[in-house]
Amino acid sequence: MGVHFLNVIWVALMVATVLTWLIGKTGELSTAMVVAVLVISAVKGWLIIYDFMALRRVRLLWRGLVLGWLLLTLSIILLAYWLGIK
Amino acid sequence: MTAQALHQHQPHRPEDGHKLHGYPPGDLAIWVFILAELGAFFVLFTVYAFTRLKHLQLFAEMQRTLDSDAGMINTLLLITGSWCVARAVAAIKRNHCRASAHWLLAAIGSGVGFLIVKYFEYGAKFAAGINLDTNLFYTFYIALTAFHAMHVVLGMAILLLVWKKAMAGGYSAQDHHGMETGASYWHMVDLVWIILFPLVYVMR
Repeated sequence: MGVHFLNVIWVALMVATVLTWLIGKTGELSTAMVVAVLVISAVKGWLIIYDFMALRRVRLLWRGLVLGWLLLTLSIILLAYWLGIK
Repeated sequence: MTAQALHQHQPHRPEDGHKLHGYPPGDLAIWVFILAELGAFFVLFTVYAFTRLKHLQLFAEMQRTLDSDAGMINTLLLITGSWCVARAVAAIKRNHCRASAHWLLAAIGSGVGFLIVKYFEYGAKFAAGINLDTNLFYTFYIALTAFHAMHVVLGMAILLLVWKKAMAGGYSAQDHHGMETGASYWHMVDLVWIILFPLVYVMR
């Protein structure tokens, strides 16, 4: 993994974090905002798993286990928030 | 899987190029541990999210009392720590031993920063008379964040051992398996916070 690429990932993660924080500053979140926050978290998690944990070039089984954890956790949270809005 | 098999696979090296690795970086035993930890946090996050469903107003009111600035700063610190560890592994793969050790020290510094912010955050809450018994939300908030902070401390202890070995020249481009093991654990600590921060501090 090139160090320049790692630096780009780091900056992207920092920007995404500030974006999430700014969304939180708006107060009670609408459904769209909740989805946006979860999508941002999914992208951040994906980048950490692929490029910091270095699972990008690891057999699908291992990548799938960690990515599956990320997506399942975020999906369950989304379901719980959706049920709360209903 | 035998104990020998857990240690047999080779460290990931730059010359491997785009080759698909059979195993994740580091010791397989740490990955079993990481998956168990992720499973524990999955349960905690799920219980939090569904408990919130029954106490929507309480959770929304209490979340407003949290310091989201501290949560954001701590997210930036953990991401920076994770980046430093990734740079440390990248450096050792190029045989830059000294630089690798410095990146590890910077990552430990990020962890120290995280704990300092957490200390002041908890201090403000405890000074306001808030504790585990205050209400259901604060039981979750303190339990979740304290459980995660324990993982930060363990991650820092692991990184400290890796740093000591790196300073002694114990790693090289050919042999950095131990560093990848410590790095994998530290990234897991970061990954969990990536969900904890929006769930507890932002989404209300």
